This record gives sequence, structure tokens and C-alpha cells, in this order.
Amino acid sequence: MNEELSIILETTSKILNKHVDHKLRQNIDNDNSDLINLWGEIVQLGLPKIAVKDKFNGSGLPLSTTLPIIKLSNNIGAPIPLSETILSNYILSESDINPPSDIITYAIDAKNLKIIGDKISGELISVPYLNLTDKIVFITEIEKIKKVILIENSGEDKELKKNFLSEPRYNLKLNKCKILEMKPINSRINFKHLGAIVRSAQMIGSMEKILDLCIDYCSQRKQFGRALSKFQAIQHQISEMAVELSASSAALSTITNSGDFYKNKKDIAILKIRAGAAAGKVIAISHQVHGAIGFTQEYELAYFTRNLNSWRNDFGNESYWEDLLGKDFLENNNQNLWEYLT
Amino acid sequence: MSKFKFPSIKETNDLSNLRKEVRNFITKSLNHKEFEPSADAWVFSASPEFSKKLGSMGWLGMSFPKKYGGNERTALERYVVTEELLASGAPVAAHWIADRQSGSQILRYGNEEQKKSIIPKITAGECFFAIGMSEPDSGSDLASVKTKATKIENGWKLEGRKIWSTGAHIANYMIVLVRTNPASEKNRHEGLSQFLVDLSLPNVSVKGIPDMTGQRHFNETLFDNVILSEDALLGVEGKGWSQVVGELALERSGPERFLSHFTLLESFINEFKNILIKSGSKLIGKLIAELQTLRRMSFSIAAMLQNGESPETQAAFVKELGNKFEKTMVETLREFSNIIPLYEWPSQLQNLFEDATLRIPSNSLRGGTTEIMKGIIARQLGLR
Repeated sequence: MNEELSIILETTSKILNKHVDHKLRQNIDNDNSDLINLWGEIVQLGLPKIAVKDKFNGSGLPLSTTLPIIKLSNNIGAPIPLSETILSNYILSESDINPPSDIITYAIDAKNLKIIGDKISGELISVPYLNLTDKIVFITEIEKIKKVILIENSGEDKELKKNFLSEPRYNLKLNKCKILEMKPINSRINFKHLGAIVRSAQMIGSMEKILDLCIDYCSQRKQFGRALSKFQAIQHQISEMAVELSASSAALSTITNSGDFYKNKKDIAILKIRAGAAAGKVIAISHQVHGAIGFTQEYELAYFTRNLNSWRNDFGNESYWEDLLGKDFLENNNQNLWEYLT
Repeated sequence: MSKFKFPSIKETNDLSNLRKEVRNFITKSLNHKEFEPSADAWVFSASPEFSKKLGSMGWLGMSFPKKYGGNERTALERYVVTEELLASGAPVAAHWIADRQSGSQILRYGNEEQKKSIIPKITAGECFFAIGMSEPDSGSDLASVKTKATKIENGWKLEGRKIWSTGAHIANYMIVLVRTNPASEKNRHEGLSQFLVDLSLPNVSVKGIPDMTGQRHFNETLFDNVILSEDALLGVEGKGWSQVVGELALERSGPERFLSHFTLLESFINEFKNILIKSGSKLIGKLIAELQTLRRMSFSIAAMLQNGESPETQAAFVKELGNKFEKTMVETLREFSNIIPLYEWPSQLQNLFEDATLRIPSNSLRGGTTEIMKGIIARQLGLR
């Protein structure tokens, strides 16, 4: 398994490094041939269906295996809905729906949904990359049963949602849209939990890149006759970023190695709290040490920090998970804190 | 970047069983009123009797070879035992330094005679150590130490003073970093050596320095032309710097860097649980997340030590993050006194809180300051 994973990682890295540059990130349209070529190679490698069951022609790898791949993709800063597609397809496959083979995205939230026959109306909130696909997965509760719904958006009202993201995100009004598939969700699956894990892995990949950008920039940029990296004040700020990053990575490796993380609400909370808090510090420090150049569109730092700003709020921000974790300990057992921790 | 990785290590059933064993032992000791849980117990709370008892349980010098009276258990087993002791605020200060770093340092660099005569006593909880690094004029800048050892016939003559030597007044030995040769112009790290000094020798005097809380643990240790035998040299003459750097990795990565005031947090939660459920779950959740992350990082380092790696940088991460966590924790509790005023807290909890508040500034000084930790990390990042 490890060998298989490292081959996939190596190949993914080659593909992404060949295609991704900062110009591509600034032109994420569905008629950009560079983007189409890149996605074509991703599909050829089998990444969209990497965690999909064999019977649906997937690779059948556990979702935890995909985290290093997702992390890598956001470390390189690939402007593609890889994590969205992997997660959407996984949820469909686990709920016994044959996933579509190309790009697919999800709605983080939905409201005012009404289903009549095989048609659905209502609003989908926060749909990433809707410019590249018309297939959307979302989860909603119908008569007390959580269901997975797959639709194809065909010329509905979509509104580009103002967002911190470098990546496009939409809200969508559905008006009697045809339901392609609707089934009860696999009871093991908690969309918010999985989303929190994946977003954390994406944040960590991005933070690693940001740390590298800061080191490179401060080593080259000279002020007062010496490189910025020679100033202790700068060194200490960058060290603090590394400390934050290392704590987040430790939290991620707990999740990655736990294999079956469906029951592991505690560790998911810890990961999202840790990565979200780190992101806040990394955004502030990286912009501080870069000065004005980091605040431009032309330089790539902001591509990464804007994504962090958004992802730390997706699937519950730090407060949400802190509250949940605190309650899990305070309310649900008679253990003292040390027993709870160990 | 591998220096920043902390592979996840699972606690096996054997380790969990050991944990339970230690916990039962502590509960019994508490029931028999053998100790009163205290804050910062690994620095302040020394009980030679308790240390001896731990020795008889096989919980000191756990990873040392059987040949020298050790237990040949793993660094992970040692980690579990130290965590349990710290979390309960047990009086572990007497043996702490011997068990954490001096014993390993002797096993790594000492000669056969040193190992045979000292290691079994450390393991039995009958031989205590103090650290001999800082001096009145050398704090963070350790390579600037002036204490010197001069070669004489059949031995060495030791001259100088060490300061902030925690526990030297009850310790039997100190591993002393000295100059045996002047620093070369290019490399200040040359010409340093470590000595194993018996503190009962003539011309050694230990003078207490009360700390800001009024308690005694600090000392100034004066070496006024102390005559040392030839075999007091620990390791290789002139290699003291690389030896001391390895010692610091042992010193910085352990759970004492984030569990020093755990008893305070635990008592606080037990006391105010009903109020916290209503209005404090977010604050407690935040502390749990940070503490659990730190435990995993530190446990991961124990595994690296077990594999013979030298995780100096990772140790700096844990120390830096752990120091920050403890400060945040005490601050979080302080803010809570807005809801229940401090004077209405049970007196034992008030004491723990006040102790912690006063002692917190020392966390990010001892074992290397925040500035030094960040400097170590910056060097690894290629910035220096």
C-alpha cells in the first residue's frame, strides 16, 4: 500500500508541476485548454475515483490514503477541484451510487429544499468550482433520513459568491431541477467530519508552501544592507509559523494513521482546531514578512492565504469544534480530564 | 523538512496497562497521604523517599541496561510513566534530572567505572543530579562558560561557579560544563568538556537562592579549586559542546514542558464542571485540542529517541509550544474568575492557581528560552 501510494504521489507531483503555474491559477475557466489538459491527466491517473469502490470502477483505496495526495495538490497550488471530486465520489460510492467519471463538486450547505416527484427546488450554498462542472452532490435530511442527492445543474440561477477564496465558489437557486440519484447516505458517513479532515489537509499543504515562500523571499530580499532572513525579528516570526505548522501536521498524522476515522470525532475536532488556528497565524505572519509584494495578485502568496481564509471557515471553524470537543468531555462522561485524554 | 514531522505513534495495550499500573500506584500513595499534589512538581517538589519507592517499582532509569541495574524498557514506556507522575503532581523533583538526562549522558559517554558506580544508584532512586550549565555570566550563551578545569598530576583542578542549579542542595552529583582549553578564534565550541563532579568533595559549596515565590530550588554552586580524579572527565576532553547539545534534546522534549500545571487544570475543571458545561465548553475544548496535540508530538519524540535519533529540533518545537500552552491555560483560568471570583474558589485551588501564575514566567526560561528555541528552529529552516 505504501509503495502504491508513493508511486501515485510521485506521478501526481510530476503532472501538477508540469501544468501548474501562477498564470493558470488566474484563469480558471472551463475553456482554458491548459486546465483541460491538466484535468485530463488527473483523470487518466484515476485520482477522481481513487476512493471509489471497485464495483464502480474505482481504485478502492481508503479515504485516508487520499489525504497526502490532496495535501500535495494544494502544496503545489493546483487550481482544480480535486478534493471536491474525490470526496463527492467517495460519498456517492459509499452510498451505493455509481459516481460520474469527470469533475463533480458538492454543496457545503443547502436550505429551503422541496422535493416533488423527481424534481428538487431550493438553495445550495457554497458550491466550489461550479464553473467547471454541472454535477453537484449534497446531503439533506428528508423525513428524518439523511440522504445523498446528485443533481445536474442545467442553466439554473447561479451566483458567484463573494468569498475569501482564490477559487470560485457559487450559491445556486434550484427550480424544479431533476434529481439524478437520491439514496440514504451510508450511516458511517458524516459529511461535516470528512469535509473538516479534507480541508485541514488542504490547509496544511498550503501552509507548507507558504513557509517555503517566506523562507525564499526573506533570503533573497535585502534591506538595510542584508537579507531579511538575517534579522532576528524576521527569523523568530518565521520560526513561529514553523511551530504552528508542525503542530497541525502532527494532528493530521494522527488522523491519517488512524485508518478508520469515522468514529474519531475527537481527533477530527483537534485537527480542524489546530489547522484553523495555525492558518490564522500563518496568514498574518506570511503577509507581514513579505511586505507589499505579498499583497499583490501578481505574486503567488495571496493565492494560498486567500484559500486558507476560506477553508478555515468551511465545515465548522475553530469555535465550532472547540465547543463540540469541550462538550464531548464535559457532558458525556464521568471521566476526569486526564482519563479523557489518555 | 523531515525535522518538522511528528509521525503518529499509537499507544499499545501494553503501554495502556503500564499506565493503569502507575495510576493505581499513585492513587494508593495519595490515599496514604504520601504526597500532596503540587504545581511544577518536577522542579519544586522533592521527596527522596518517594523517588526511592519509584526506583523499587522499576520506574526510574527505565531504559537503562540491566547490566547496570536498569530495566531495559522502552523510551515509550518511560514516557507513559513520567506522564502519569506529572499529571498527578507527584513529588518527582529529587530524581528528575538524574532520570531524564544525567543517567543517559553517563551511559552514552561515561567510562565503565562511572557507569558501574552511578547508574544502579540512579535506577534505585538513591542518587540525584543537578545540571551544571549556566553561570553568572553565561545564560543563553552557553559556549561562553568560564568555569575551567586544569590538568594536574593524576587529575584535574576545577575552578568557577555554576548558577540556577536546581536541586543542587539535595543532589549527589553535577555534570559540569567547563573550559579545558581556550576557545579557538574560529570556533567557540572547541575546548569545552563535561565533568562528573561529586558534590560532597572538599571545596564545593552550594548556596541557596530563593526564587520569586520565596521557595528554594535554585542554587549557586561554587568550585573553589576542587581536586578531581582523572576519571571525573565525562566523555572526551574538548568534545563537551556536542555532548551538551545531546543532553539538551533529552531536556526539552518531555511532557514536563506542558504538564507542569496540569493538576491546576484538572482541579479547576472538577470544581467548576457544572458552570463550564453552560459557559466554558469552548475554552475547555481549545485547551484539550492543544494539550492532546502536544502529547502526541512529545510521544512521537520518545519514539525517535527509542530509534536512536537525535530530535533536537523537534524538541524545540515541543518546548516552545508547550510553554505557550501553559501560559494560555493559566490565562484562560484567570479570565474565568470573572464568573466566579477567585476568593470563592476552594483554597487548595486558589493556591495552585497563584503558584502557577507566579511560576509561569520561568517555563520559557528554563531549559532554553523562547528566543533560543526560535533561533534553533530558524537555523534548521536555513535562515541563519
